[in-house]
Amino acid sequence: MNRFALSVSSAIARITEAALGPYQTAVVRIGFSATWLLFLLREFPHREELYGPGSPWSWDLAQQLIASNSAFTALMWSDGRGWFEVVYALAVLSSILLLLGWRTRTMSVLFMLGVLSLQNRSIFMGDGGDNVLHLMSVYLVFTRCGQVWSLDARRARLARAARARGEHVADRVGPALWGVLGFALVAVTAGGRFDGVDPTVPVIVWAVWLALAVWWIVGRRAKSGEPRILLDVIANIVHNGALFVIMAEACLIYATAGWYKIQGTRWQDGTAVYYPLHLDYFTPWPGLADLLSSSGTMVMLVTYGTVIVQVAFPFTLFNRRVKNVLLAAMMTEHAVIAVVLGLPFFSLAMIAADAVFLPTSLLRRLGGWAARARGRVLARDGRATLPGPRAPENPEPTHASSTV
Amino acid sequence: MDAYGTDSDARHGPDEPGGAPEPTGGPEPAGQDRTADPQDSRPEAAALGPDASAATAAPPPAPGPYPEPRTGVAALSPRYQVGAALALAVVAVVACVHVGMVFLHVAPSNTVTKAHGKAIDDWIYPEFEQNWKLFAPNPLQQNIAVQVRAEVQTKDGELRTTGWYDLSAQDGRAIEGNLLPSHTQQNELRRAWDFFVATHDSTNRSTGLRGTLSETYLRRIVVLRLDRDDAAGKGGAVEQVQVRSRTTNVRPPKWSTEKVSDKPMDRVLPWWPITAADTDGGAE
Repeated sequence: MNRFALSVSSAIARITEAALGPYQTAVVRIGFSATWLLFLLREFPHREELYGPGSPWSWDLAQQLIASNSAFTALMWSDGRGWFEVVYALAVLSSILLLLGWRTRTMSVLFMLGVLSLQNRSIFMGDGGDNVLHLMSVYLVFTRCGQVWSLDARRARLARAARARGEHVADRVGPALWGVLGFALVAVTAGGRFDGVDPTVPVIVWAVWLALAVWWIVGRRAKSGEPRILLDVIANIVHNGALFVIMAEACLIYATAGWYKIQGTRWQDGTAVYYPLHLDYFTPWPGLADLLSSSGTMVMLVTYGTVIVQVAFPFTLFNRRVKNVLLAAMMTEHAVIAVVLGLPFFSLAMIAADAVFLPTSLLRRLGGWAARARGRVLARDGRATLPGPRAPENPEPTHASSTV
Repeated sequence: MDAYGTDSDARHGPDEPGGAPEPTGGPEPAGQDRTADPQDSRPEAAALGPDASAATAAPPPAPGPYPEPRTGVAALSPRYQVGAALALAVVAVVACVHVGMVFLHVAPSNTVTKAHGKAIDDWIYPEFEQNWKLFAPNPLQQNIAVQVRAEVQTKDGELRTTGWYDLSAQDGRAIEGNLLPSHTQQNELRRAWDFFVATHDSTNRSTGLRGTLSETYLRRIVVLRLDRDDAAGKGGAVEQVQVRSRTTNVRPPKWSTEKVSDKPMDRVLPWWPITAADTDGGAE
């Protein structure tokens, strides 16, 4: 009984005092923002046909469908061409800034708004990759995903160093950004743009905006350290909850894909993989597809292997080594799918989701390589680019000015 | 879930630069009893700076031989701890309910989903919909080509019917050899046709509001494509369009003894007159 109480209190301590998986959440942030950014750039010539007012899925059609499902999309606020271009540009901009980790929390909200606005505008243009991106863009808002590998982390480090030298550090950009976006949010709400919209998105946006204000005020005004620590604890709890949801979501994706496949006769007779390789919509390289499916035994092994890996994956999380082997297998399979089935953005999104399970040691090593490579490119000391600070032992909310 | 490699077998491995003491999996009070020799682990963690313990998702510095300034609930007075506990409870409940709802949403129809389908749908839609059955339970084994022909009024006022344009084949050619196929090539027509089929009965009658939407959508796509193919010719105008799907079985692998018909099956829709609403905006 005592032992049980101890484990509970230790678990509570663990999830309240640190935002777990700083490297994993950072790589998920980078992965999804990069996927969306590359997608938007690739589709730039097709943007009007996909999401614009003149799309075959016209603004009127979208409006009729959205009236029945009340999904959020800023593109329904106006059917003007100019507004569409602004939203598309902001979606690109927010994904760049989220990728770099500049004002990460704010950018994660704008990123979510961009993803939802475009995808909900034309839901029949998307595929599984868009679906996972859609979900993760919402979950990412709740994480402290800019703790490492971000401009926020760099700024926090520089600010700490400056304070250590006794300099006064003032952040003017943060409050200004908050003010501008708050003005927009109030205008949007007062203008009735959220009327009839499912409350999920408006609630998230308002909650983050208010939370940022509370964070800033408490960081400056609070006399004792306790209110700040409490906010830090709450941010950690929310982060860890979201991290749990992201991991569970990834497991559910694989479990769903795997368990439903088991019921399929083609997955049972070992020929399933052959068929997508011969669908006209998924064969950019017919010669390669033929080569890959030339041996019946190979196709059977890949077919069974795919199902086994997908079904088994959630259970392997309890064993580090097996989990890593399966993770490598799944990432490889997705990389192959990207080319062979012509699904690059779907595959990138899935790899980004898988990345939440990568071991910290590997991520740190990758971060080190990236830093050294950057250091060489910039021909200067790469030391400053080592993974940024997180300070579980430091009662100061070091993220006060950066990542709430 | 112990997904970050915090198993004991990873301790102090050569590839574990952040090898702070780690628990064996469950949330044990691992900090003290695992680290038999605190001298061994302290400098290691210190050398890596304050982020070392977090990097390996290591256990919190449990009240052990080295009491440290604490964050988390332990650093709070009881009054504030109530707030933290409240937040913890709310987040735990919301996260678990959400995961449960998503699970029920993707699970096959069962006792619980039959009783509470409405509540699950209310939670999931519109923003948390999940669609992961790509290639499951069986991968699609047919190539479905969407084709269209048009009745065109030429410049001289003459009516002419064009041949069939195989729009899916055009998509296929655009995808072939393409490392980055566009959604306009890979998803637009394919999913519009799926949408049409899902919202119409076998006699092509619409089964609801979405059926009407899907007809307009499909019509706008084919009009756009016909326009790109310049089907109407100079000065001409498309008056009506007719869409058909031509379904061909993927031929079985050559190492298989299976036989399937290679005869295409057609589903021909009625002629649809074209109105201004089908051509406006025509995305280029």
